[in-house]
Amino acid sequence: MEANLEQRGLAMKREEINVCVLRVGGTNCDAETKRAFDELGVQAEVVHVNEMVKRRSLLEYNALVFPGGFSYGDYVRAGAIWAKWILAKLGKELKAFVYENRPVLGICNGFQVLVEAGLLPGFEGISPYPEAALATNFPPGYNCRWVYIKHENDVKCVFTRKIPKGKVLRMPVAHSEGRLIFAKEKEKQYLKRLYENDQLVFRYCKKNGVYAEGRFPTNPNGSFHDIVGVCNREGTIFGLMPHPERAFYWWQQPDWTRRARMPQYGDGKLIFESLIEYLVKKF
Amino acid sequence: MTRRLYINRRTPFPLFEIDVLAATDKQLLKISREMGIGLNLQEIRAVQEYFRKRRRNPTDVELQTIGQTWSEHCFHKTFKGKIKFDGKEIDSLFKTYISKATEEINPRWCFSVFEDNAGIINFDKDYGIAIKVETHNHPSAIEPFGGAATGTGGVIRDILGVWADPIACTDVLGFGPLDYDYEKLPPGIKHPKYVYMGVVAGIGSYGNNMGIPTVNGAIYFDESYVGNVVVYCGCIGLLPLKKFRRNAKPGDIVVLAGGKTGRDGIHGVTFASAELTEKSEEISRPAVQIANPIEEEKLKRAIIEVRDSELASAITDLGGGGLSSAVGETAKRFDCGAVVELEKVPLKYPGLAPWEIYVSESQERMLLAVPQISLKRVLEIFEKEDVEATAIGKYTVDKVLRIHHRGEKVAELDIPFLFEPPKSVRTAEYKPANLEEPRFAEPENLTKTLLELLASLNIASKESVIRTYDHEVKGNTVLKPLQGEYGGPNDAAIIKPLKNSWKGIAVSCGMNPNYGKIDAYWMAASAIDEAIRNNVAVGGRRIALLDNFTWGNPEKPERLGSLVNACGACYDFATAFGTPFVSGKDSLYNESPLGPLTPTLLITALGVVPDIRSAVSMDVKAPNDSIYIVGQTFHELGGSEYYKLKGFLGSTVPKVRPKQARKTFETVTKAIDSGLVKACHDLSEGGLAIAAAEMAFAGGYGVKLNLREVPRKALNRNDFVLFAESNSCFFVEVLEKAREDFEALMKGNVYAEVGRVTKTPRLCIYGLEGDVVVDASLSDLLASWKRTLSSGV
Amino acid sequence: MKIEVSLKPGHSDPEGETTARLLKELGYKVERVGVSKVYSLSLEAESLEGVAAEAEEMCKRLLANPTKDNYAIVVEEEK
Repeated sequence: MEANLEQRGLAMKREEINVCVLRVGGTNCDAETKRAFDELGVQAEVVHVNEMVKRRSLLEYNALVFPGGFSYGDYVRAGAIWAKWILAKLGKELKAFVYENRPVLGICNGFQVLVEAGLLPGFEGISPYPEAALATNFPPGYNCRWVYIKHENDVKCVFTRKIPKGKVLRMPVAHSEGRLIFAKEKEKQYLKRLYENDQLVFRYCKKNGVYAEGRFPTNPNGSFHDIVGVCNREGTIFGLMPHPERAFYWWQQPDWTRRARMPQYGDGKLIFESLIEYLVKKF
Repeated sequence: MTRRLYINRRTPFPLFEIDVLAATDKQLLKISREMGIGLNLQEIRAVQEYFRKRRRNPTDVELQTIGQTWSEHCFHKTFKGKIKFDGKEIDSLFKTYISKATEEINPRWCFSVFEDNAGIINFDKDYGIAIKVETHNHPSAIEPFGGAATGTGGVIRDILGVWADPIACTDVLGFGPLDYDYEKLPPGIKHPKYVYMGVVAGIGSYGNNMGIPTVNGAIYFDESYVGNVVVYCGCIGLLPLKKFRRNAKPGDIVVLAGGKTGRDGIHGVTFASAELTEKSEEISRPAVQIANPIEEEKLKRAIIEVRDSELASAITDLGGGGLSSAVGETAKRFDCGAVVELEKVPLKYPGLAPWEIYVSESQERMLLAVPQISLKRVLEIFEKEDVEATAIGKYTVDKVLRIHHRGEKVAELDIPFLFEPPKSVRTAEYKPANLEEPRFAEPENLTKTLLELLASLNIASKESVIRTYDHEVKGNTVLKPLQGEYGGPNDAAIIKPLKNSWKGIAVSCGMNPNYGKIDAYWMAASAIDEAIRNNVAVGGRRIALLDNFTWGNPEKPERLGSLVNACGACYDFATAFGTPFVSGKDSLYNESPLGPLTPTLLITALGVVPDIRSAVSMDVKAPNDSIYIVGQTFHELGGSEYYKLKGFLGSTVPKVRPKQARKTFETVTKAIDSGLVKACHDLSEGGLAIAAAEMAFAGGYGVKLNLREVPRKALNRNDFVLFAESNSCFFVEVLEKAREDFEALMKGNVYAEVGRVTKTPRLCIYGLEGDVVVDASLSDLLASWKRTLSSGV
Repeated sequence: MKIEVSLKPGHSDPEGETTARLLKELGYKVERVGVSKVYSLSLEAESLEGVAAEAEEMCKRLLANPTKDNYAIVVEEEK
């Protein structure tokens, strides 16, 4: 944890934070992702990649978000084209961003992008070729449903520091290619590393916290080891398939009409809050 | 030797002159058939007359343009023409029954009805809500995936076509039974299973890819849909009223934006205006458009920015008829003419003839009118989003449409002529069906009957389909299609479109084609009642309606007769309920070698929920709460799912009693607003038994009901009380302590306390004799309900 | 040239399995279906070996994800 707070300086105010929500043709969750930051008093800018290439200003932002959607129509593989395009056109800035440990969040399609770009699982910096894949769901088909996920991370992940380890959260997924897999021959080894490095962040579980163990629909896509999301070794890059921006307000929950007393916000808010608090403290 | 009808004009590109001046009637029809323009003799004679006056022959571009514009799909000849029926002459079904209702109701909260691509109602002081429902039946019958996808794409463009930002989609689908015998399928007809899978996937692919939540819909199965699939695609949009621009002027530039133009979709409208035959696939597969939702997503972004920058003077989408409709309709709208340069249109591949360019229905294209002074900035906005946009012409002062291609004039038509096809005169007939009520003994085991009904295709859970549609994207869906843990079916969806307002919109639908087999008038009435009560059940009010007709060949008098009757009901009940029509569409000629499909009217209802915090869902909330039924149940089992299960149609189709129904709706709304309603669910297919089962298993608590308490007329059999499908009825769950207040509010209505919510997870119904007639565990009910379509085929 | 990207053995192929199931329902005695993507490319190159090397790179850099994909390259000279 200390390694992340290398740059000690004056504490940063919330109003000074600037988050970049990147988009490209096919991205479609940017508006509500920005809204989550707006709601928390933090400036977030939705920037088209073409614009970013023109301006070359990625390093002016404190955090980067790849929101959900169907970038490039999911052609070749979901997230693949956007990932390679970013590496080709903004590679230098992105690498600097990552090596300075500035937070990067990938939601759904964004997670796919981070995996295809080699930023996640991020065992050792940015890998030249993907070390994981988010493959076609098993059972197959697009699936839109609310799931329960258990927080597995000890201390590393800067996007979940406000969430106690072991807590069960509720968020919606909506995807057809969300099954996390590793190369068959590397499965055991990678899983071990995820645990050793404290890189495992969420796993699919039941409402009572019991793990899905691959069972559908508790695990909606057949993900290896029920993995929902992982972070890199530094904890500053995080990707997950569910949509925290869709679980921000109480009225977005699927059964709020049943509850006499509603918490003001949904579980998704905790992800954004954790990030903001990290940024405030870091600077 | 036959005289040549087609004269090659010897231009560097394909262009033909068609010799109509000297053609005989037989030859005129030949021309219409060979060119695929679908004009009847009266119409092509009018064309001949027009060109005689001009002393020249038409070009193929001109004939194709006329063919598209005068097609049933684009011009709605049946709804606008004259109909001889029952000794009277009806001039325009649309004016007489649909728009008349809206005129009489004269709502002050409608911003635009029947004028633009979509209806627009006021939402709050700054925003309006646009809504449109389209049909895409013919293309989906030939190419299910492509047809359904482009249907969704098309209706989304209709919303963009009124400057609204799409915020939700709906889909209502009709298929033949999934277990239809392959042996019985005639050649050229696809099996319902194949169509079902393709259509469901097509709808999902487009809506999901564009990031628009699909929040409401229905799937219906009927034997007559084999060979005639029903695909209704709806879209709702949000519009800042100040940004609405509809004032194109001569001198404004015609800008074509979006995808390139190719041969896909040519003759989509003339195809949609004809019956399907065995040859349809061969001939018409090219007529099915190809979808590219990512293109439309980028297009949408650019258009919203153009709107917000207030740079354009008008917009419309390119749908049926492609450029020929879009340019022509815009010119007509603003009382101008237009000049178009076809060589400027970006093409997918070279070699297209000018007529092909002009009538192509390639997808993802919009047409804007842009004042010269803003052109540069508009083109820059499109470029920023990676969308191609090109100036292809100009609007002119005279009311003439002129089309050029590579310097050569290829068409010149007067706009007034183009939009005044000869009025069609048709004949309609109606012979009431000679039907009888069936006679059969009450089953011994009604629990078993209930479980069978829950599993029947039109009642069974559609979860396997619904979950393939993203209904959460944009994060504004307050009431989802599936409620809570067990996925019970909510009556309507609620969207909260504005960040800083608790106001919401409720969207619901009503449709029951089975009733139409008995009486199309009551089918229409029931559809209206159902759409409204679904909306009321969640807290919706101030409801606007959309009518979408899917019928057979209107040139056959019996088909037209039922259509006229259905329209009559639309007028009667829209006025009775005070719910105006704001938009609609008709799809005719839905006939295949197996015959016509059964008349199908979809009514979509759009209501306002003043505060979404008071929204009500259908799942039972707590044990010991009381359950009331509001509304009366009659001996109306004709067309019911229960009779269908037993193999009968019957004759006692459910009627609508508007005065009582309206009172019921208004009172239920008051009760919801007073916070007295904890759950509410309307009664529909399967009657009160199904509604009770759904509320129970959705909520995870049991329900106990007493049939003796159910307000009813002429019903003295348990099965009839359980499964009658009378209109305008609701189940309402009320806190025990609030009963007095609720009953005070209900005074003057027909209602009764009929049961309770129980902790024991069972549905227990006591019959008319006091004995238990239904006793089932929630898990059994849920299993039966979910099993039928669970494998997702 | 043609590049075929297919799943490495050992990984589940939900699309293939679903397709097999439906073909069986239509009456065919299908045992297994594997789904792969075929890219047909035309490019200019100086030599066949150079092209094959470029194709390898294309697969590694974009067309295939080594976690789960195998690829097969067939190079042909276009007349």
